[in-house]
Amino acid sequence: MILSVGLVYICIGYTGYIATLDWDGSAPDPESVGLANFTRLFADPIFWRAMAHTVLFFVVTFTVQTVLGIVFAVILHSRIRLGVLYKIIIFVPVVLAPAVMAPVFRQIFAADGQFNELLRALGMGSLAHPWLADSATALPVIMGITIWQWTGLTFILYYAAMSQIDPEVIEAARIDGAGNIRVLTSIILPGVKGTTLAILMLSVIGALKTFDVPYLVTGGGPNYATEFLGTYIYRQSIPLADVGYGAALSIMLLILAVFFSLLVGSRQRKDA
Amino acid sequence: MFETRSRASRIVLQVLVTLMVLPFLFPLIVMVQGSLAGQGWENYRTVLSQPELPLFFRNSVIIALITIALVLAATMLAAFAFSKLWLRGREVFFWLLLAALTLPEVILLTPMFSISLQLGLYDTYLSVILPLAALQIPFTVLLARTFMNGIPDGLFEAARIDGATTWQSFLHVILPLTRPIAAAIVVLTLITTWNDYLLPLVFLQSPETQTITMLPQFFVGQFSNDQTKVLAAAVITALPEIIAYLCLQKLFERGLAAGALK
Repeated sequence: MILSVGLVYICIGYTGYIATLDWDGSAPDPESVGLANFTRLFADPIFWRAMAHTVLFFVVTFTVQTVLGIVFAVILHSRIRLGVLYKIIIFVPVVLAPAVMAPVFRQIFAADGQFNELLRALGMGSLAHPWLADSATALPVIMGITIWQWTGLTFILYYAAMSQIDPEVIEAARIDGAGNIRVLTSIILPGVKGTTLAILMLSVIGALKTFDVPYLVTGGGPNYATEFLGTYIYRQSIPLADVGYGAALSIMLLILAVFFSLLVGSRQRKDA
Repeated sequence: MFETRSRASRIVLQVLVTLMVLPFLFPLIVMVQGSLAGQGWENYRTVLSQPELPLFFRNSVIIALITIALVLAATMLAAFAFSKLWLRGREVFFWLLLAALTLPEVILLTPMFSISLQLGLYDTYLSVILPLAALQIPFTVLLARTFMNGIPDGLFEAARIDGATTWQSFLHVILPLTRPIAAAIVVLTLITTWNDYLLPLVFLQSPETQTITMLPQFFVGQFSNDQTKVLAAAVITALPEIIAYLCLQKLFERGLAAGALK
């Protein structure tokens, strides 16, 4: 008992220690600049762009992943051949490290990459261009990669949640004359509401945390078009060695993360 | 869930799902195909003959194993205390722990950097293991506690009456019953640890300590623009994960599902 409580104390103490260092130890030479870092932050256009990217990224990836996850789960719960095979294909990206896949995606979306070849093969050659070097298309590509990676997880979650739905309820609805769409909207979707909220929470935190994919695939560029809070904090703290400013950005991120998780958490409790 | 009465609708559904799965397969095909381009299997031979490769693997395995052991031990004990023991301020501590759930790792970068420099941990396994474990524990404790709450208190009390100490009843009553959630925790921690990129990037500088996720970048430096070898390296690093998943498919899916369904 003492051991277990001790371990918990160590964990909390460790987090607390870090938190205090976050406030005080931000500058390596302890020159106090007060709130200067924060005023700079609010005037920093790249910070606001990173914020906008994060919000857009969250909305798009959450929507697409949820819809795809539900559709896959529903279809694979219907009688379908080779269901296991589909499941594996959708889920494999989840276990692969983004760091490992990054060179592959850089290759695919390069000017002479496979994606452009595919477009030409489909007779849409006019659309082909260097996707990652164009600041208008780099962000959608990053979103696409993220969706590719994480849809497997939403799928598995919905799949698990849908097995909890009592088949007799659906059977009863069918006898009452409900069609496929009606069953989906009136029984399945309300039945997996808890899962949707859990995924919402994961997506918010995921969007705020986004680092690996943009860092490795585009490096935040071109011209900050794929800069996220995570990559910006890294850029400021490590390569630019502006630790104080990086810490100020981190505090902003922390406030956002706690705020949103409280928001989602209270929604969850209200619904329960 | 969907009812397909006619043969035609069944075929439509099958074709639909096949088409939808294709984009998921595409990058994997490109990866394998690209790695065989140019010199074919020679690419693999070159990559495999790099002396650093086994090092990276070994480092990842060591870090993953120690992190899993640490997380599992701390989680089981903490969850037991939070679920079955009456302690003063139990709920307060639990909420403090949960608040750490939302912490993204980038936030901790600066403080951890200075801590690890001060402690002389920089560029050692511990500089990655400790933050990884610390960030993983809040989540796994939440999981394990929810699971343990489902174990009736009566069992625990019965062991007490039979003369078992708290420690004995934890060992002989609680632990055997929590095996499913322990398995889920192992899988979750394995995936997070094995795939983590940011912490090794910042804290591990020499090839003697770097992990598998640094491998593709390392080879980009090594083979400059020879994409085929970089892709071969990517395949080699991806293979163990895919094999592990295929072997433990049920465990992976259950573990991750348990992870998000609080």
